[in-house]
Amino acid sequence: MPGDVHEHLVEAIYADAARIADRAVSRPGHQARPTLDRALDHVLTSRIWGFPIMLLLFALMFWLTIIGSNVPSGWIADLLVGKFWPLLRQAASGLPWWLSGLLVDGMYLSTAWVISVMLPPMAIFFPMFTLLEDFGYLPRVAFNLDRAFKKVGAHGKQSMSLMMGFGCNAAGVVAARIIDSPRERLIAIITNNFSLCNGRWPTQILIATLFIGSLVPAHWAGLVSAGAVTAVALLGIGFTLAVSWGLSRTVLRGEVSAFSLELPPYRPPRFWQTLYTSLIDRTVFVLWRAVVFAVPAGAAIWLSANLHVNGVTLAQFLMQYMDPVGVVLGLNGVILLAYIVAIPANEIVIPTVLMLTVLVTGNQGVGEGAGVMFELDSPEATKNLLQAGGWTLLTAVNLMLFSLLHNPCSTTIYTIYKETGSVKWTTVAALLPLVLGFAVTFGVATVWRFLG
Amino acid sequence: MISLPFIVSLLIIAVLLFWPDVGVVARWREARRRALRVRREDALKHVLKCEVNGQVPTLNSVAGALHIRDGKAAELLADMEAHGLVTLGEGRLRLRQPGRELALHVVRAHRLWESYLAEQTGVAEAKWHHLAERKEHQLSPEDTIALAARLGNPLQDPHGDTIPAEGADLPADIGQPLNAAPLDTPVLISHIEDEPEAVYKQIQALGLRPGVKACIFSKENGCIRFWADGREHVLTPILANNLTYVPLPGTTPEDLFDEEFLSELQAGERARMLGLSTACRGAERRRLLDLGFVPGTMIEVDLVSPAGDPTAYRVRGTVIALRREQARLIRIGNRETIPMETAAR
Repeated sequence: MPGDVHEHLVEAIYADAARIADRAVSRPGHQARPTLDRALDHVLTSRIWGFPIMLLLFALMFWLTIIGSNVPSGWIADLLVGKFWPLLRQAASGLPWWLSGLLVDGMYLSTAWVISVMLPPMAIFFPMFTLLEDFGYLPRVAFNLDRAFKKVGAHGKQSMSLMMGFGCNAAGVVAARIIDSPRERLIAIITNNFSLCNGRWPTQILIATLFIGSLVPAHWAGLVSAGAVTAVALLGIGFTLAVSWGLSRTVLRGEVSAFSLELPPYRPPRFWQTLYTSLIDRTVFVLWRAVVFAVPAGAAIWLSANLHVNGVTLAQFLMQYMDPVGVVLGLNGVILLAYIVAIPANEIVIPTVLMLTVLVTGNQGVGEGAGVMFELDSPEATKNLLQAGGWTLLTAVNLMLFSLLHNPCSTTIYTIYKETGSVKWTTVAALLPLVLGFAVTFGVATVWRFLG
Repeated sequence: MISLPFIVSLLIIAVLLFWPDVGVVARWREARRRALRVRREDALKHVLKCEVNGQVPTLNSVAGALHIRDGKAAELLADMEAHGLVTLGEGRLRLRQPGRELALHVVRAHRLWESYLAEQTGVAEAKWHHLAERKEHQLSPEDTIALAARLGNPLQDPHGDTIPAEGADLPADIGQPLNAAPLDTPVLISHIEDEPEAVYKQIQALGLRPGVKACIFSKENGCIRFWADGREHVLTPILANNLTYVPLPGTTPEDLFDEEFLSELQAGERARMLGLSTACRGAERRRLLDLGFVPGTMIEVDLVSPAGDPTAYRVRGTVIALRREQARLIRIGNRETIPMETAAR
């Protein structure tokens, strides 16, 4: 008999504990769980309502995040970009142009963008998520979804790290710690990038609104573009399951580990405490890492737009090389270069794309000069600029796909390395989505051109 | 005239080749030495197993067990005799005392390492044997003592083989192949042969483990049908040959057929837990015990996932979800319907 001694010990301890408890604890009424708990559980995990409630709840959470972060994002951008930036420029006017450009237009501005775009959604999403966690709902989600994850050879708790990834992939990768088995944890870490993180939601929403919502009459536009974004997010979940399946049948083959999940009783969440800890533990932590990576990225972007090679800027030089590849993929050189400079933070993709497009088209009268990130006031102006840069519906669709399927940001890559301690798996996690992205965009572009 | 670069490169090559310990030549010799040691120890193991099981080891059987040519086996045995490990006197291959001790150590190290892999790592079951085959040559006697202590001095490895105690002899394998088991008589599966790997994997996938009680009810059409762990299993005789049984006196077939498992419990029912199947072991077993799945506990079905699996069970006031595979490992009895007024409250 395996584990003999241990077993007898545990049995004896339980027998003792039960005897003591029977003597000392009285259970008025019955030991059954409170009726409200049971009723709630029967609805939340019911055959009919379980999945729809789950979808609605998370859709609501994303919607609140997207809607709620618009205004504070604007405020922060106003403050950091509208007020401080001119002041800093003035203060740095004594410095040589290249130094003030590098410091203020490059490093400061990219950091300001990252903070203004990332902070509000994180400050809204993480506390909401933590409240749900505190309430005890997340274990029920894992309970509902376990079957699907079991089928693909992954752990039921992967659904939790997946949802965490919708907020931020770095946080999702850290959340994979709840999975004990190293094999299944690796699967969860590698596939976390397929959860559309909040750095990518703005890109999705903007492109869907500009190019897909405009295909239908105005009163349908909102619904259609929201549907397009949701479709991309669901496609991400599809990729999570498919890639988990592929991994667990090839390089990460192994037994499905034992699954036991405690479903704790529901508790009223401790609101203020939750708010505080989620702000400190998650938001500030993730934001700090993003800022650390945004500073050098800002410098790189500014330099690439101001250093000249053979008479053209480095950025243009690089884009010339990437354009043929980009076109084959149904994208363009601007987007590819933007994704390279945006490795530190996906948030800066759109500002970088706009800046580079201005550089390429030579469009005058917008932006603040070479290498300076900006966002345009109106969506129409943005769309006009992009169309001047040669954008079509195919570019937009493929950008949305590529935004879902590309390498994780450097913060996430670094976190993956920290969590796995392995260069090999970090490389796999970084390159696998990129290869998939190339394959999918290439496929879509080829079919599109064949049909059109 | 020989140029300077030529001499320098010659020197570098010479250094790469002949540097002590890390040079190519040194490494090659070390690898050869290790390979010889592995072959020697494998041969000793083979001879030991033959001796305790009453078989006669021969040069051919050594060559077969090690997958080497007869000539090479002869060379190996001659070398081992020269080192005082075996004797070929009187035309019979026999172990000498140093050889016996070394062979016992290797067997012990192998089985302990398999136990370690089973109990304390997440390594896939099919890989245990292969990994232990390598590790057995690397562990020193001190290592094995430390390993045994860490595992709580287990008596059996995960395949049901006895782990010889330090300094003790290896007992003969007990039991007979399952093919030979009588019909309609409960038996205990005592051992599962882990070679060849493909066969072992199939047996393992069926959830058959040493310690499982089985009862064969038909041997027809080249199929052996038997009942074990609350389910019917079908094996071909080739597969069944890798299972070994010992008789199980005092148990009737009805006892086995009447066994019930937690996976059969329906919503609105409760039952008393009787025990964990032996197929459940290592970290999984400890986890279930720690969660309160101990014999005597009342368990009731609380919720069923919308997809039908997993199921959440109420155990000692907490709710714990288990997949069907886990629930199948928990034996229950006294199954009953929960009275309505209790359920409603």
